[in-house]
Amino acid sequence: MPKAFLIDTTRCTACRGCQVACKEWHDLPANSTKQRGSHQNPPDLNPRNLKIVRFHEHLDARGNVVWNFFPDQCRHCLTPICKDVADMAVPGAIVREPETGIVLFTEKTAELSPEDVRAVTDACPYNIPRYNEETRHLVKCDMCVDRVSAGLPPVCVKTCPTGAMVFGEREEVLETARKRLEQVRQQYPKAYLADAEDVSVVYLLAEGKEYYYEYASFM
Amino acid sequence: MKCTRRSFLKFAGASAVCLTLGQMGFNLEAARAYAGSLKIEGAKEVTTICPFCAVCCQVIAYVRDGKLVATEGDPDFPVNEGALCAKGAALFTMYTSQHRLLKPMYRAPYSDKWEEKDWDWTLNQIARRVKEARDRDIILQNAAGKTVNRFESIFMMGTSHASNEECAVIHQAMRGLGVVYMDHQART
Amino acid sequence: MTNHWIDIKNADAVLIMGSNAAEHHPVCFKWIMKAKDNGAVIMHVDPKFSRTSARSDFHVPLRSGTDIAFLGGMINYIFETESYFKEYLLNYTNASFLVGKGYSFNDGLFSGYNPETRSYDRSVWAFETSADGAPVRDMTLSHERCVFNLLKKHYARYTLKNVSDTTGVSEENLLKVYKVFCATGKPDKAGTILYALGWTQHTVGAQNIRASALIQLLLGNIGVAGGGINALRGEPNVQGSTDHALLYDNLPGYIALPRAKWQTLADFNKDNTPVTALKNSVNWWSNRPKYFASLLKGWFGDEATPENDFCYGLLPKGEDGEDYSYMQIMDKVYHGQMKGGFIFGVNPMNSFPNTNKMRLALDNLDWMVCAELHNSETTDNWRRPGVDPKTRKTEVFLLPSAHRVEKAGTISNSGRWLLWFDKAVEPGGEARSFADIFVPLINRLRDMYRNEGGTLPEPLLKMNWPETFDAEEWARRINGFFWADTQVGDKLYKRGQLVPAFGNLQADGTTSSLNWLYTGSYTEEDGNKSKRRDPSQTPMQAAIGLYPNWSWCWPVNRRILYNRASVDLKGKPYNPQKAVIEWDGVKWVGDVPDGPWPPQADTKNGKLAFIMTKDGYAQLYGPGLKDGPLPEHYEPAETPVAKHPFSRQNSSPVFKFFTSDMDKIAEAADERFPIVLTTYSMTEHWCGGGETRNVPNLLETEPQLYIELSHELAKEKGIRNGDGVIIESIRGRVEAIAMVTVRIRPFTVMGRTIHLVGMPFAYGWTTPDCGDSTNRLTVTACDPNTSIPELKACCVNITRADKLTEIA
Repeated sequence: MPKAFLIDTTRCTACRGCQVACKEWHDLPANSTKQRGSHQNPPDLNPRNLKIVRFHEHLDARGNVVWNFFPDQCRHCLTPICKDVADMAVPGAIVREPETGIVLFTEKTAELSPEDVRAVTDACPYNIPRYNEETRHLVKCDMCVDRVSAGLPPVCVKTCPTGAMVFGEREEVLETARKRLEQVRQQYPKAYLADAEDVSVVYLLAEGKEYYYEYASFM
Repeated sequence: MKCTRRSFLKFAGASAVCLTLGQMGFNLEAARAYAGSLKIEGAKEVTTICPFCAVCCQVIAYVRDGKLVATEGDPDFPVNEGALCAKGAALFTMYTSQHRLLKPMYRAPYSDKWEEKDWDWTLNQIARRVKEARDRDIILQNAAGKTVNRFESIFMMGTSHASNEECAVIHQAMRGLGVVYMDHQART
Repeated sequence: MTNHWIDIKNADAVLIMGSNAAEHHPVCFKWIMKAKDNGAVIMHVDPKFSRTSARSDFHVPLRSGTDIAFLGGMINYIFETESYFKEYLLNYTNASFLVGKGYSFNDGLFSGYNPETRSYDRSVWAFETSADGAPVRDMTLSHERCVFNLLKKHYARYTLKNVSDTTGVSEENLLKVYKVFCATGKPDKAGTILYALGWTQHTVGAQNIRASALIQLLLGNIGVAGGGINALRGEPNVQGSTDHALLYDNLPGYIALPRAKWQTLADFNKDNTPVTALKNSVNWWSNRPKYFASLLKGWFGDEATPENDFCYGLLPKGEDGEDYSYMQIMDKVYHGQMKGGFIFGVNPMNSFPNTNKMRLALDNLDWMVCAELHNSETTDNWRRPGVDPKTRKTEVFLLPSAHRVEKAGTISNSGRWLLWFDKAVEPGGEARSFADIFVPLINRLRDMYRNEGGTLPEPLLKMNWPETFDAEEWARRINGFFWADTQVGDKLYKRGQLVPAFGNLQADGTTSSLNWLYTGSYTEEDGNKSKRRDPSQTPMQAAIGLYPNWSWCWPVNRRILYNRASVDLKGKPYNPQKAVIEWDGVKWVGDVPDGPWPPQADTKNGKLAFIMTKDGYAQLYGPGLKDGPLPEHYEPAETPVAKHPFSRQNSSPVFKFFTSDMDKIAEAADERFPIVLTTYSMTEHWCGGGETRNVPNLLETEPQLYIELSHELAKEKGIRNGDGVIIESIRGRVEAIAMVTVRIRPFTVMGRTIHLVGMPFAYGWTTPDCGDSTNRLTVTACDPNTSIPELKACCVNITRADKLTEIA
């Protein structure tokens, strides 16, 4: 059965439990980072951070502070462009498991040429793939394939305190997403589900993507 | 999907015998290789509690061969229901931190370095310092001639990291010595 | 917490003030969001817009240190709009009590003030009593000296204009909060207040909390589901370590530290056992002698007998009125009056105020024993930046302590749940638990005294002390034993068996307990109740998220304190949908009630609701605190404001301070330090950061010290986001990276713009290049009741730095 995530940003408190849990579960070492005038750290996805919470602040039309949080990760597209591009060079470098819909970067990504790597990276509408210089692999969120295979939720979902993240069967998750959207619109009339028809990781955004992150949604 | 630990255990029990990715719907060789085995599978589960903040989220420590392999929120605990924040999620690498102190260390007066010592020597030295100060400084009577039995020249600071049982030990120990200067970070 | 974490979901209004719950107690936001899902309004009143504000219905920025003005305004609003719950006030609070003629309040000072000693004679604030000692009451609430009218008069001064001028909160925003929260004054509505160190760490800290108690009592929000005053306790186990009193002023179970004036146990009991003239007042503390005798019995075992006062005479006695708090400790250390000390699991060289003083002070110790997971700014103080170790005398014993997963025992969560944790793995290296350090240490001392003699060996030698530490055994010691065969009902308990409940503790030496509050947690019948993992509940309990069979909580497994005030005089719940307890005609059902007696209306056997107060009523007016019977606004010890509209008394007339050359406090409105600094912990680090900076995955998320400031201030100072900044107070200088944000905005205070900046205090020099202690800036001024320092407000100035030396 195809799986899906709902990430309801209107419930996220940016506690970053998901960001850290992802590192811990995947045994990813820490980066040396700097304070650059933002809580968002590391500043971007990288081979050691397959999930990060992005922070965006602004004043709304009435002068109220708005602080949006965006736990960013691979969307596991239903028709992953990255796979189409990679398939032209190294079949099997990127695979999509049809049953669950999990999109995986495999060890074969090491066989991609630098040009291919750039092509795959540029093709992603969400700016997700990262190149690991040490292993020469392309890397990204694997939806905790090991856990999902064992009937466990991805570790980020498990860790989330407020129910901002929901994981399960695609149809059920989409149903939940639509209900949430209806509720959320009472407070945030411009709220929408980002690219729900095309991805397995569906974000509920309270306002336009320019108030989250430029790649928060494609449409 | 609400996946409680119990439902997982049922699943894992079955998986120990027969789980293959193929049966889970994974047909591709590549995906199978990628998924690998679940690192907590078959590990012993021990209930512990996150050491940060008084929400006191319950945590499952997964132990194999006497070694910690992972920590996760306990989905059965009604307060956190499996959830953890950034600090709680980092419990495992807090445990494996290379900065951990592992031996009693000693810094001699005016020294510029730490020296490793054994527990026996260390506890004897500390007991000796305490006794010397106590025998010399304890105030049996105050200026008004009242019995006070007060040991004022040493103090105990800490700690809210201690368990209730440890707090009981520390409190009894200190009052037994006559210490009144005792306080901890309930104030910070 | 009067209530507990899950109970937050039952609230109709959630006021988060003096707390940043989403950042410092992140997982509790699960229950705040549940309340929101159920239709509650979430309000965050705090100087800074934080992750808590982001998820609240609205955020109201407040100048740090003006909480009483804000809350006083709410009290005034309650009176003006008559939003109070009158039946509750009359039946459960001292609103109707007459205050004696000795009480007065004039221009910021209560009666009884002595400027020489900076203290009050509290006896003049006493209630008026009849000949038998009972309080005189006016049930019509018309007497000018009844508490209700005193309150009304006192807070009439807290007009919207005065409050707005002081706090920097617009009148519109004040009304927004007041309206929503005061709507919970209806019998079937509940509002909860969540606070933390944002309220306690002020020179008026205790009064901040009293102000919230006034509001909750006026609105009838104490004792009900979704109500209460909920201190979001910090450290795990700060609740338990407070109950077990690793504190200067108490013995375990909230029994006062013996003082020199109480030479015998009888002296002690006389002054510490309240007496009520009201027959229907339970006056629970009348049981204190039983708890104290049982504590002494626990400490000294068979050596403690009625004939020798249970060894009371061996205990240390403090001088009357003397403060032995950590701020005093460090001041004594600074003045070279201490030889040595134990500093366990705490990093004062980073987390105490005015750390420049603290760091210098520590050099004066001859020896110091620390137990930690990691080296810290405290353990390594002798080699701190700018210091030649060869000039520092302190001998340091640094003991490796065990991580939580390496030991077993219990901790008490903020909702007073007693939770057992198991040992998962053996301690790393040679690490030991704190108890495995102290038990053998005391045994060595006992051996030395036994073999060599010494001064006053008796307290140590007579102690009931084990050879080795076992957490289960100490859990039983805490619960307590019978020391003589005892018949309880139809059951005979043998000497050495566990006491079933604190009602069975005695003052005659036949029982022991190291903490009466925990008696009943470990019984012959049910074993160690902290290990219970049974989620079963009745439908009534399920409706409010009560889990009576999961773990255990003090006292007697009562999950919501003061729950007898959640029902009317006949025992019927004010809110039947979210009933906590209910009298079914024969017994109480639901939560464990505050005592088994029938409801208050039963004139023969009924009891008053507030069993912990002497006369059975909650104290709207409370003559117990050192700074007044009613909360009053005073500026912080260090403030940019020279005069506020409430009185000529600018700062608290009784706050504590120190007089050393390092303890400077800037004058009010000192032009050199015009900016308010507030300090805080953070989600990704723990307090002073001593542990979490050593966890690379956490350091990655928040690597270096920052200062959050408004765009307006940044522009004024020529500071861009990410620039280095130097922050200076009259006490110290700190470097940080600028985080310029819309989340902090200038305040308009009495027509003047006042800027506020905020900094975390998690960084210290032992972690390379991350910055050093923010607390070099903060002030050593303390609350007169608790000696908690004012870490939340002091005055600074900032400049852009071209080059930083502490951050790279």
